[in-house]
Amino acid sequence: MGGLLSVLAPIGFVNEFALRIGRAIGVVAIAVMVLAILIQVFFRYVLNNALPWPDEAARFCMLWMTGLMAPTAFRRGGFVAIDMFGRSLPSIPGQILSLFLLVISLLVLVVAIGIGWGEVTGFGGKFTTASLYLPTSLSFDDWFRIPRSWMMASLLVGVILLTSVNIELILRGIVTLMGGSDRLRPIDDVEMLGSE
Amino acid sequence: MLIWFLPAFLFFLLIGLPVFFGLLAAPGLLLWLNGQEKDITLLYRNVYNGMDSFPLMAIPFFMLAGEMMNRGGITVRLVEFSQALMGHLRGGLAQVNILSSILFAGLSGSAVADTSALGSMLIPAMEKEGYSRKFAAAITAASSVIGPIIPPSGIMIIYAYVMGESVAALFLAGIVPGILVGVGLMVMVRLMADRYELPPAQRVVLTGTQLGKTEWWVSFLLVRLNVGLLLWAFMPVGAEASAAVQWGLLIGALVIAHFLFIGLRRVVSHDFRMVCKRAMVPLQTPILILGGILAGVFTPTEAAAVAVAYAVFVGFFILRSLSLRDMPQILANAGITSAVVLLLVGAAMAFKTVVSLSHAPETLAGFILNLSENPLILLFLINLLLFIVGMFLDAGPAIIILGPILGPIFTDLGVDPIHFAIIMSVNLTVGLATPPMGLVLFVAAAVSKERVETIAKAILPFLAVEILVIFLITYVPAISMTIPRLTGFAQ
Repeated sequence: MGGLLSVLAPIGFVNEFALRIGRAIGVVAIAVMVLAILIQVFFRYVLNNALPWPDEAARFCMLWMTGLMAPTAFRRGGFVAIDMFGRSLPSIPGQILSLFLLVISLLVLVVAIGIGWGEVTGFGGKFTTASLYLPTSLSFDDWFRIPRSWMMASLLVGVILLTSVNIELILRGIVTLMGGSDRLRPIDDVEMLGSE
Repeated sequence: MLIWFLPAFLFFLLIGLPVFFGLLAAPGLLLWLNGQEKDITLLYRNVYNGMDSFPLMAIPFFMLAGEMMNRGGITVRLVEFSQALMGHLRGGLAQVNILSSILFAGLSGSAVADTSALGSMLIPAMEKEGYSRKFAAAITAASSVIGPIIPPSGIMIIYAYVMGESVAALFLAGIVPGILVGVGLMVMVRLMADRYELPPAQRVVLTGTQLGKTEWWVSFLLVRLNVGLLLWAFMPVGAEASAAVQWGLLIGALVIAHFLFIGLRRVVSHDFRMVCKRAMVPLQTPILILGGILAGVFTPTEAAAVAVAYAVFVGFFILRSLSLRDMPQILANAGITSAVVLLLVGAAMAFKTVVSLSHAPETLAGFILNLSENPLILLFLINLLLFIVGMFLDAGPAIIILGPILGPIFTDLGVDPIHFAIIMSVNLTVGLATPPMGLVLFVAAAVSKERVETIAKAILPFLAVEILVIFLITYVPAISMTIPRLTGFAQ
């Protein structure tokens, strides 16, 4: 148990730290999304000049917001599931079932990492975005066209973070199964509304 | 072989695998066993492509606008306004609860937010007036399902996206069914009020209130603009009328609206007027959203962003109930909640690909048509199925899973896709208030400190009304289709 806890502690710390940064970036991303769409509305209807970039910039931010914030929801138990069967089982079989489900999730995530890496570094990622540029000089003379792989990396990063959270949850599950739940640091909870 | 992904998915779902992983694990496993490893890459690509969508952006925006409005203290104003209109009736506070839910639905579109915001305010107030706690919690939970039916609605955005329908058409189609659920509940409360002697409430609880200067002027202008524009829209003027005539008529309509309200001043008390004025600013949100979409000014996504901007304006400059310090938490809550929904929608798009690859809809259509060829009987059966699914699964994921399977079958049977979307959305939304897994029942229990089982029993009369409304919506398509047809969003 001690060994498990000593492995779990750094993973938990890293996850907490990474997800906090992810949430901070996600907060900025959602604010930028709103701003980009409002700029689009203003330019199109007030100035009669449709800009090419706000749509793509907002989608860029939404993808990163999803990739960086979904792992927080997963860690806090916010992924929708029917947990009636597990809850109806006695404690030990219920915990074993939870572990089994986490292992299935891990398999899905590991496969997704492999595919995601191939996608980001492969053919599809070599294209550029249609309208997103970054200035590469202070005088704004030189611009760098953002590659599509930067957008595609959002899902890959999300899947990697989900995997890291999943491993932490598996370790927590094993510790709980071994009767050490009182030695686990609680994960903070939030109100999850869902689409309903 | 591939058709087995459905039972496999159901198995994963029932043993408690999160829907997101189930949507990928079941088809992925079957594709692998089928030797179609390359198609697993297609699954991943479709998750990404499914999320990379402009229309979907409306989900985080509406969530954000709702969260800001809620934190900004609009709940109190809506309840006061509802009470001023309906508080004097027998069962007054229960009626107020329902009307507040209808009004709240136009701002947030979330049943959970409705239950938690209105419940924490109205359940203690109802108890004080002599209602039992279980009744107060039950009516709060039952009326909160109106939230996702009346626009804006997260589940309708999801349905529209997954099924390729128009968000605006679904929004418009949801208005009458949502109001119908509310009216049905009001009738039931009225009947129960006689039987259980539910008391009327004081109509205006706020006395001697004065509005701030900004809010006074904003509500002064908004109310006249809304009524004036409405009058102008119904004026019998041909499209060929010159701009000068149009402007003249608009100014005339605004003047009529102004004198109408001057006249009304003599009829109602100062306190009543103040309560109405305090509700004016938040109630402008649905008018802004729907008005913008209907006038062709915004797309639904842009309307959602404008709703956020309006919520910022209201929260920071008019009500002054929000501070910059609140914003990170509000943005984070909206972001985290939307991220889960967006991932689910992405996975649903991947799932949909396998649904078409497996020819599951055709197989299921064959099975369903074997039961009966009469669409009316099939609609009855499908309502039963949806109701049972709704008892165990939340509306969003249920739509994501069942929409691609059931939608094409009923469209082929001649049911309008928008009509079917409303049947599905309303039915699954009512499922949010049904035991054993009704999300809003749990929230109502947490807010009221009453046991879920007790609320589940007390809610039964209201559920009966909602089931009746579902069948009305199912068999009278005009209920949902009239507004989209009149506005040209459906044929």
